Amino acid sequence: MKRALLTLVCLLGFQTIFFAGNVSDTIYINSGQGLFVNGKQMPCKGFNSTPTYENRNAQLSVGIMDTLVLTIVNNDTILHGFDIRGISGYKDTLQQGDTLEVTFHSSTPRVCIYYDHINYPNNAYMGLAGILAVGANANTYYWNIKDHQSDWNDSIASGGVVDWLDYYPDYFTINGLSNPDINSDTTARVEGNIGDTILIFMANTGQAEHSIHFHGYHCEILYSTSSSMHAGRIKDTFPLKRMEGYLLRLVPHQTGEYPVHDHNLLSITGGGLYPFGMFLTILIQ
Amino acid sequence: MMRKLIGTCLLLMIFLFAEAQTNVFLIGRTLGEKVIANGDTLRVYGFAPSLSTHPPIPAPLIEANQGDSVHIDFWNVSQLHHHTIHLHGLDVDQANDGVPMLSFSVDHMEHGWYHFEAPHAGTYLYHCHVGSTLHLQAGMYGPIIIRPSDGSNTTWDGGYAFDTETLLFMSELDTFWHTDSILDHEHIDGAVHDTLLVPKYNPDYFLINGLSDQQLEDSVELNSKTNYVNYFRLVNIGYCTNKVIFPSSLGARIVDSDGRPLPIEEFSDTIEVYPGERYGVLVESSVPILDSIEVHYFDMMTSELKNIQHVKVDIRVPNQVEEFENVIDFSIAPNPVDQDVRISFDLLKETNLSLRIVSIDGKLMLSEFPRVYEQGKHTLVLSTNEYASGQYILSLSDGNNVTSKSFIKK
Ligand SMILES: [Cu+2]
Ligand SMILES: [Cu+2]
Repeated sequence: MKRALLTLVCLLGFQTIFFAGNVSDTIYINSGQGLFVNGKQMPCKGFNSTPTYENRNAQLSVGIMDTLVLTIVNNDTILHGFDIRGISGYKDTLQQGDTLEVTFHSSTPRVCIYYDHINYPNNAYMGLAGILAVGANANTYYWNIKDHQSDWNDSIASGGVVDWLDYYPDYFTINGLSNPDINSDTTARVEGNIGDTILIFMANTGQAEHSIHFHGYHCEILYSTSSSMHAGRIKDTFPLKRMEGYLLRLVPHQTGEYPVHDHNLLSITGGGLYPFGMFLTILIQ
Repeated sequence: MMRKLIGTCLLLMIFLFAEAQTNVFLIGRTLGEKVIANGDTLRVYGFAPSLSTHPPIPAPLIEANQGDSVHIDFWNVSQLHHHTIHLHGLDVDQANDGVPMLSFSVDHMEHGWYHFEAPHAGTYLYHCHVGSTLHLQAGMYGPIIIRPSDGSNTTWDGGYAFDTETLLFMSELDTFWHTDSILDHEHIDGAVHDTLLVPKYNPDYFLINGLSDQQLEDSVELNSKTNYVNYFRLVNIGYCTNKVIFPSSLGARIVDSDGRPLPIEEFSDTIEVYPGERYGVLVESSVPILDSIEVHYFDMMTSELKNIQHVKVDIRVPNQVEEFENVIDFSIAPNPVDQDVRISFDLLKETNLSLRIVSIDGKLMLSEFPRVYEQGKHTLVLSTNEYASGQYILSLSDGNNVTSKSFIKK
């Protein structure tokens, strides 16, 4: 019996070593013209997975056993920074054309926000903030929540100064998309079956506050960036301050198509028009 | 003999399987009026309990016990506009979810029926989900309270017993949004989405239970006694974030949110409530307190503090409040009643009263929001035309004391 136990322990130990590994990823700091709902365009920046600008920031993922080796390339013409919010030791800068390599490891499932800390909040606001997921499963979704006041993107891009006390955003996106386009983003639009364990890594990387409400289901908070008191709470509405996020677990108990939207209903608009904002649906078969 | 036996069995089966049913009737209106704190009258949308009354803001409280079957008959009398009822937080099925393109919407002069089995005890809300940014601000929202299975003053089945209960239902009003040019928005029949132009939001009245400033101070307060357990239900249905700050001497503790007990209670005098969220908070004091709860309203775009409202807290030792204990003595006539029943009472002072009628088998017939009644004699007339024959319990509560009397419907 003792021997069997020893073998088991050895096997477990071996498995840990065997499965723990390095994952490599490269992200590019790009500048470009962002395309928004109803054809709206505005200058933006992003951490993208290719050297071409797109609204969506790279969705980084690492297993709880693994180490992420991340290469960041500054493809823009100005100085940028890289940091992971709430974790010390990552803050660094990149000149035009520079490359930076960082390694990241977390032994617990969580959602992290990586972002550009230079000229904060302007660079992050222009789009340079994304989600790093720890502990994703096969049913994982990413909701990177942002807001933009379109004329501010123009003025910040041309070196202008904005007063954040006057902020009044008019575009609201998840992964860079608004209703109805957001429902065709398979990394955002939850599709599943009754009883599935669905993980949602959600972060507010905009400069407004949001309050994300689920129809049809309650979700359990597995991790919250803002307070350890939140873990284990089962809720239908999730308050999101700036640069905060949640890892949520949804186990659907019923079939149907149900909306998820910001309950700051001003955010269900795009260019002042309802309902072209932060609104998508969940489909459970 | 055999037939009699089958009959008895059938009756027994009906008895065994009958669940309590709560029926709610609401009328959607777009030509309502509301008097705001400065005395002006604003045009509002809303849910009214009858055609002869303006839709109150917030809309009538829907109340049921956990496990009850709740049926809502929603009649829309709104000229061009269609509406729905979304049962926020109740996790109803898609057909009853009240989202126009995924469920159904109710056109002018049409009825829509919503049904749900009341799930977990807790605090919920309902609102229209058509052009929701405009229709909510216009006034189409109200509270839902699901009580424990036995209807007791307990937070949930097996939860905390409480002595008083106070609902703080927060929202705002932007008076510009209540002008005809905004409220009479274009509406395309049958469109997948109603596309609406949403004006800039700059609220100028900050509401608790539909009231602000002097209106609020005159009618919403916690009147309680030392060592009483006081349960607050905090709800935010506005577009600002709220910070509800309790006097620290009350030892506020958050025990539930969004209709579920918290896994670990949180002791905090300050509770942040974001749009759509609900929190249950228990407070008590062993010493008298005369103080107030502050409710702060913050802009969600800038985090700027926009306004502070106050809710008075008056906690006294029992013998100091006993003088008020009998103020809600009342009489019911005629009894037994055929049609209209008259409820008469004489108040020694201005009093905030709520009225409830429950049938002897536990079915909630009427539940009114607390209203302020002036000092002096009052007679309320209620129709019992829709009541089945039987015994009913009528209760009047001033928040501290409940007086109940029964009457018979012929
Ligand atoms: Cu409506
Ligand atoms: Cu809602």
